[in-house]
Amino acid sequence: MSDPAFWHRLQFAFTITYHYLFPQLTMGLAWFLVYWKWRALRSGDERYSAAARFWARIFGLNFAVGVVTGIPMEFQFGTNWAGFSKYAGAVIGQTLAMEGMFAFLLESAFIGALVWGERHLSPRLHFLAALGVAIGSWLSGYFILVTNAFMQHPVGHAFAPDGTLVFSDVRAYLLNEWALIQFAHNQAAALVTGTFAVTAVGAFYTLRGVHLDQARVYLRHGAFAGVVAAVLVAFPTGHAQAKIVARYQGPALAAMEGRFESGGMADITLIGQPNVKERRLDNPIRIPGMLSFLAFGTFHSDVPGLDAFPQETWPTNIELLYYAFHVMAGLGTIFIAVMALAALQQLRGRLETTRALLWVLMLAFPFPFIANTAGWMTTELGRQPWLVYGLFKTDQGFSDVVSSGTVLFTIIGTAGLYFVLGLLYLYLVGRELLHGPDVSLAGPKGPALPAGSVSVGRVLSDAPSIHD
Amino acid sequence: MIEIWFALLCFTIIVFVVLDGWDIGAGALHLIVAKSQPERREVVAAIGPLWGWNEVWLLAGGGTFLMAFPAIMAAAFSGFYLALWMVLWSFVLRGISIEVGGHFSDRMWQTFWDFVFAMSNLLLAVLFGAALGNVIRGVPVDGSGRFSMALFTDFTARGHVGILDWYTLSVAVFATLLLVAHGATYLRLKTVGPVHERSQRLARRFWLITTVLFPLVSIETWVVRPTLYQSMAARPVAWLFAAVMVAGGWALWTGLAGPPARRPAEVKAFIGSCAVIVGLLGAAAAGVFPEFLHSTLSPEHSLTAYGGAASGRGLAVALVWWPVAAGLAAVYFVTVSRQFAGKVRSGV
Repeated sequence: MSDPAFWHRLQFAFTITYHYLFPQLTMGLAWFLVYWKWRALRSGDERYSAAARFWARIFGLNFAVGVVTGIPMEFQFGTNWAGFSKYAGAVIGQTLAMEGMFAFLLESAFIGALVWGERHLSPRLHFLAALGVAIGSWLSGYFILVTNAFMQHPVGHAFAPDGTLVFSDVRAYLLNEWALIQFAHNQAAALVTGTFAVTAVGAFYTLRGVHLDQARVYLRHGAFAGVVAAVLVAFPTGHAQAKIVARYQGPALAAMEGRFESGGMADITLIGQPNVKERRLDNPIRIPGMLSFLAFGTFHSDVPGLDAFPQETWPTNIELLYYAFHVMAGLGTIFIAVMALAALQQLRGRLETTRALLWVLMLAFPFPFIANTAGWMTTELGRQPWLVYGLFKTDQGFSDVVSSGTVLFTIIGTAGLYFVLGLLYLYLVGRELLHGPDVSLAGPKGPALPAGSVSVGRVLSDAPSIHD
Repeated sequence: MIEIWFALLCFTIIVFVVLDGWDIGAGALHLIVAKSQPERREVVAAIGPLWGWNEVWLLAGGGTFLMAFPAIMAAAFSGFYLALWMVLWSFVLRGISIEVGGHFSDRMWQTFWDFVFAMSNLLLAVLFGAALGNVIRGVPVDGSGRFSMALFTDFTARGHVGILDWYTLSVAVFATLLLVAHGATYLRLKTVGPVHERSQRLARRFWLITTVLFPLVSIETWVVRPTLYQSMAARPVAWLFAAVMVAGGWALWTGLAGPPARRPAEVKAFIGSCAVIVGLLGAAAAGVFPEFLHSTLSPEHSLTAYGGAASGRGLAVALVWWPVAAGLAAVYFVTVSRQFAGKVRSGV
């Protein structure tokens, strides 16, 4: 309990990790909905309407949990990170306010219309609602990544006489090189989460022999989008991300690779455990020269190890950073292989009958969540010990009027609430999946509620599918 | 510039209170105004597909607060730590109860979530009321520009105050009644049948109590923070808000007195209800300015808009994009709410 910064960090890490499980699926699925609504609008093909209708229901649940777990995030800047807010609020507040004003007000206006409005809205307006939600969720992602990019690689700021930061260059800030690369990488990774969810459901229905018409759509579109997204995560976006880390956060790159000593012909480690005490990797399996090539373009480039940097600039948790990075990179590679195989079988018209691959696709859906989480752990652990890289240490940023025990109390309270939330989410999504898609927009059972009756959820028994 | 941002921040918060206020008020009344399951579904349907949009104004306000007045946001949010976490947990519970409560029709499932929905909304109303009381009374800001408060101390409203004392408690009760009355006025507009009749009765009753209590709370405010009225008297904008409130009160009462189920009277009362809240909060904000957080320990420790505003070009830059975003938001709102306009009905 003696280190309050630890508890404030733990709370933020927990709440943001939990929260981001949901928006990544929201952002990944949003464009599937837009695409299917658009196809249905153009061709009138009922299959696409049904696909959009079914996924909109899962999307709605997912969105709701994303919203309620997102509200505490914004407030925690003030409640738990008052030192940071006071120091950098004039800068990062710009994008947090933009997120609220441009993105949240857009997506929250249309989410109800998208999920529950199909029978009340014209097809065109319903398509626009899907588009509005998709744009809103991606805009929100952009503003948050600009905020994070400022913490990784601060640009566009100036200093007030009292040493705090002020906003100076809007273009430099919003088009931060780090933000653009990180956005591309992160959004591609969110698409991977979405595509694996779509193919997993397609595989599940195919293996069960139910809803085959719909499953075919999910597998085909999921596999093709999946292979593109999985490749984009690695090249060019992941590659570019590694290069900017190499350029601006040397100690982070060295720690990610468990590289304690500098030199040319730097290896990439596939497997190995960092031993920080002895400053070496235990039992490493390496590809020689690969890190030099990936980070700087030639096999002989000199890549600094941790020994090249003063120890106080080393990331504070080298082991976890190393594992997080390797889990992310390893899974990302496997995703490319799985989706390439799925797309190939789809092209040959055999995906539906390749049962082993369907099992893999069905069971693979949790792994993009793990990879995305590990990726964010890499980013955030690599930034340590800085809160704003090179300017402001994490230890300076927490709210010193809030004691460790108080933070532990709110961690426990929030964890309990989120645990119940997780159970509810899994239960309700499970119900949707077992019920399956409805091919036609059935007439209502129960009371007929005309326009105005459509609420986000409570009138589900009035909505197209009735479970009971 | 600082005055403009103070005004825009207050605008955002007032929009939130007016919009989400009817959700909160209707939600707090949920178990009373609607007795059967179909009736309760009507209440939630009346809150409609835009409850998230209403709530998001608070997030927009939080971001704007951080951008324009970072030092004050930092001091206020960390100072109100536990109270704010109660607000956050209540928001989580409320959002979930709306989303999952009607997910399938099982009586016990729905009864449980109806209860969670009502209680979380009631708690939100009380907490926001207490927050208003704290802003008017002031908080124990010390020489370091920070404070941290117990939930309550000796209930005296002076010196080392807690979040709750005799004054903030009475503001919390008043604000809760006000939001409940606002919610009932909204439900009266949006429903027909038994829910409509009950909300009509409840709206009259709660507005009557609120109207009677208003002078009392005003006198209490004069006891706790006499300078508030001096500032208000010196600022014409405060007179304007006071006039809005009086006009709103007139529209409200004439609208409430109208015969049942007459649409123009319902609309009139509802607009009046919104105007009362805008006038009340606007006048209070005009009176509080420039002190965001008045210090109950010593006036020179108070956190003012001038002392806590962001310097540099940020505020000028934001003045370009902020109104654009607000305008776009209004367009979305009109587009969507037109699709869901009119009364909620069950079993036509």
